[in-house]
Amino acid sequence: MSLALKHVGVLVDVTRCIGCNQCIEACVVENDLGELRHTPQQAPDGLSDRRFAAIVESPQGAYVRKACRHCLQPACVSVCPVGAMYQTPEGVVLYDYAKCMGCRYCMMACPYGIPRYEWGSTAPRVRKCNLCYERLQNGQLPACVEACPEQALLFGERDELLLEARRRLERSPNKYLPVVYGEQELGGTSVLYISPEPLDFLGFHGAPGDQPYPELTWNWLSRTPSVALAMGGLMTGLFWVIGRRMQAEEKRAARNTSSSHEA
Amino acid sequence: MAAQYRNWIKDGLWALAIAGMAAAVLRFTFGLGASTGLNDTTPWGLWIAFKLCFVALSGGGFTLAAMVYVFHLESFRPILRRAILLALLGYGSFIVSLLFDLGLPWHIYMPIIHWQHHSVMFEIAWCVMLYFTVLTLEFAPVILEHDWFRHPIFQMIYRALHVAVIPLVITGIVLSTLHQSSLGALILIMPHRVHPLWYSPWIPVLFFISAIAAGLMALVLEGFLVERWLGSQVKLDLLERLGKVAAFALALYLALRLGDLWARGTLPAALDGSWQSLLFGAEVLIGGLLPLTLLTSRKIRQTREGLLTSALLIVAGVVSQRMSLSLFTMWRPAPYLPSLAEILIALGVPAAAALIYLFFVENLAVLDEKAPLKIAPARVQLPMTWPFPFAERNSLNGIIAHRSGLAVGIIAVMLAVLPIQTAASGALPLNLVQPARGWRILWIDGNRAKYQVEFAHAEHQERLAKEMGSSEEACQTCHHLNLPQDEATACWQCHRDYLQAVNIFDHTRHQQILGGNAACQECHTVEHTRRSAAACQECHETMSPKEGQAAFNPMAPAYLDAMHGLCQDCHAQQAAAQNRPELALCKTCHSLQENPSELQAAIRNE
Ligand code: SF4
Ligand code: SF4
Ligand code: SF4
Repeated sequence: MSLALKHVGVLVDVTRCIGCNQCIEACVVENDLGELRHTPQQAPDGLSDRRFAAIVESPQGAYVRKACRHCLQPACVSVCPVGAMYQTPEGVVLYDYAKCMGCRYCMMACPYGIPRYEWGSTAPRVRKCNLCYERLQNGQLPACVEACPEQALLFGERDELLLEARRRLERSPNKYLPVVYGEQELGGTSVLYISPEPLDFLGFHGAPGDQPYPELTWNWLSRTPSVALAMGGLMTGLFWVIGRRMQAEEKRAARNTSSSHEA
Repeated sequence: MAAQYRNWIKDGLWALAIAGMAAAVLRFTFGLGASTGLNDTTPWGLWIAFKLCFVALSGGGFTLAAMVYVFHLESFRPILRRAILLALLGYGSFIVSLLFDLGLPWHIYMPIIHWQHHSVMFEIAWCVMLYFTVLTLEFAPVILEHDWFRHPIFQMIYRALHVAVIPLVITGIVLSTLHQSSLGALILIMPHRVHPLWYSPWIPVLFFISAIAAGLMALVLEGFLVERWLGSQVKLDLLERLGKVAAFALALYLALRLGDLWARGTLPAALDGSWQSLLFGAEVLIGGLLPLTLLTSRKIRQTREGLLTSALLIVAGVVSQRMSLSLFTMWRPAPYLPSLAEILIALGVPAAAALIYLFFVENLAVLDEKAPLKIAPARVQLPMTWPFPFAERNSLNGIIAHRSGLAVGIIAVMLAVLPIQTAASGALPLNLVQPARGWRILWIDGNRAKYQVEFAHAEHQERLAKEMGSSEEACQTCHHLNLPQDEATACWQCHRDYLQAVNIFDHTRHQQILGGNAACQECHTVEHTRRSAAACQECHETMSPKEGQAAFNPMAPAYLDAMHGLCQDCHAQQAAAQNRPELALCKTCHSLQENPSELQAAIRNE
């Protein structure tokens, strides 16, 4: 079932976030994530199999909500061998446990290092924000957006959010850096940020560039059919040509010996 | 001629394989978290690195098949079967290790049903699956030659396989080309993880070519090993020619690798003196250029030592490339150390493959097309019959008995070394709280992180007393529960652990006060059952818990939660009441001071 909205997104206004963690609480309740457990597998950023989102502190001390960006061209979706990570028509990136084999390629590939794993389970799931897709289908806001007391999170059509972001940048140019994070990186993300401070630290290891990640692989992968054909053709050809030559060679040798016998 | 066969190698392999199986039990009972060092920032570790190596070292299979069947180089036929067996076992190891690595191994068939052709891994899954089948079919005739398969049906299959061999071989070559290169393409999408000296848009081609070099050299090594341990003569001239082919592949690989780094301007990074650059240097010089130089000299190539050395170096070089890029030099924000179980599984799989290799070699015509190798009985009898003296050494019972003895020892050591808290999935080590210091100002660093929260204790006390009009009540706002004969018991005395809830019911103390065993029934009113304890109030009716706290709860929350719970609510209220939002910010308390000197001075001056 698809939504009435075309392409959904969330705009995070970092200047408004007070770091109260209400959004995280709401997410925990909505997705039934349970008590936080500290495990050796957990990363320091606060995301884990039991937390889809976390408020992280930027190097300069601003509070930034970190969660899946719902990339327009998601690396996680492109690497998943079985399509367990998939994108809905509205741009929400979802996960289907029934298909997943647990290869964890999605975790390796995500340029923001978002997906987390249930290391403590013997039938583990990959865990990440689902943009509350079920709530969206019921016409509700994502839980975190609804919970935010400061309206630091804004939900809507991605295009409209972009307009709103630009409007804010224009109206208070002193408050923000003149970029909408998520507009272009990796071909764009559905979760956008405007911020007084650089958000490059959200990348797994440095800021992701503008090139959509799936292209990196597709450049090679799209060539494999031709490589296969070429290799198959070459091998068949070589087998045939060399074989024929050798036969001819043998025949000539045989003829030579027999003729020399006659002589 | 008596074969120089050493039983202890086999014993060692068995021990490794069984230890690996034990570790596998651990992995499947407790999950990946408890049995491996993998974590959220390093979801791929040792096993992936090993898998890349297995496949690289199996590159001899398709190369030799191409040489014999496509290029009609019949002289290589005597080692073809070994090449195929090696590849078969290499891919077998790959698949088996994959079963351990996958979080949901019973979903391994999913790529067959759900196609996702944008994924390199999808392509690899299909290619490996198909190629493994091809290898099995290529090797099947060797098995069908055994006496057991005299039945006409098997003969028919045997003949059919013989007819089908050329299409099979060519399919195998195509599949190998695809997945050998695609294994490299796996990392194309991870520029944020892979070190720039190893990352390359040409990585698929590099993987393919280096697999040819490494696969052939692995065959050379195998030739020498077989000669040393199984006493089957190698044909040195054949191996030498393999070396020649490998040298071509190696030269191409090095040229492409260095050329690409140079063209993209990354080569200077190889000289910056970091350990990665040294590793890179060693890999290229010792594992690449050196053996290449050795191999280009015909004289060196034709000696055993020369050939052996270059084979060792090339295999090491390619293995190093695979391991470096997938393990050593990957960027990770948190450290990753493979656990013992992880290492045992990683080693156990190839050990089992080696045993299968020996089994095939001993029972089938692998080394010599005419007859299976007859192996002389062991000359050295190790005194390992002790646990099961009744079992014949070479019977199946015997083998299992002896090797299990060894393995039990290894498992014992493993369990001893494996930290128990990781084995019991999710359990945490005890993390005792450091009491707050100071008096008027408390200096709080519960987890000994050297970052202090300064808490103006006196100020809070005074303000609350003023607001409530009674200092006793003021204290109770926070000191909600006191130990017997105490007032204002410090937080840490009950909330003893930083992260875990703790039981504050002191069973032993109750027992002592009430008079030992005889008194058990004072609480445990129903006979002998643990569940039967009377509720606290029945004895402590005079104790008045805080309002709203209906029953006495013997569990105290962890220090972290307790402190936050206590402070945050008030702060949030006050922030709203006084319209001072900064009061509710984390920064207000966590100003992240490391042993602030003025604070120390303030405390000392009191
Ligand atoms: S942020 Fe990561 S997990 Fe989320 S859609 Fe993008 S690639 Fe996938
Ligand atoms: S772990 Fe699951 S969701 Fe992630 S890439 Fe593998 S199969 Fe897909
Ligand atoms: S959108 Fe839903 S799942 Fe995602 S962070 Fe917000 S509450 Fe959690």
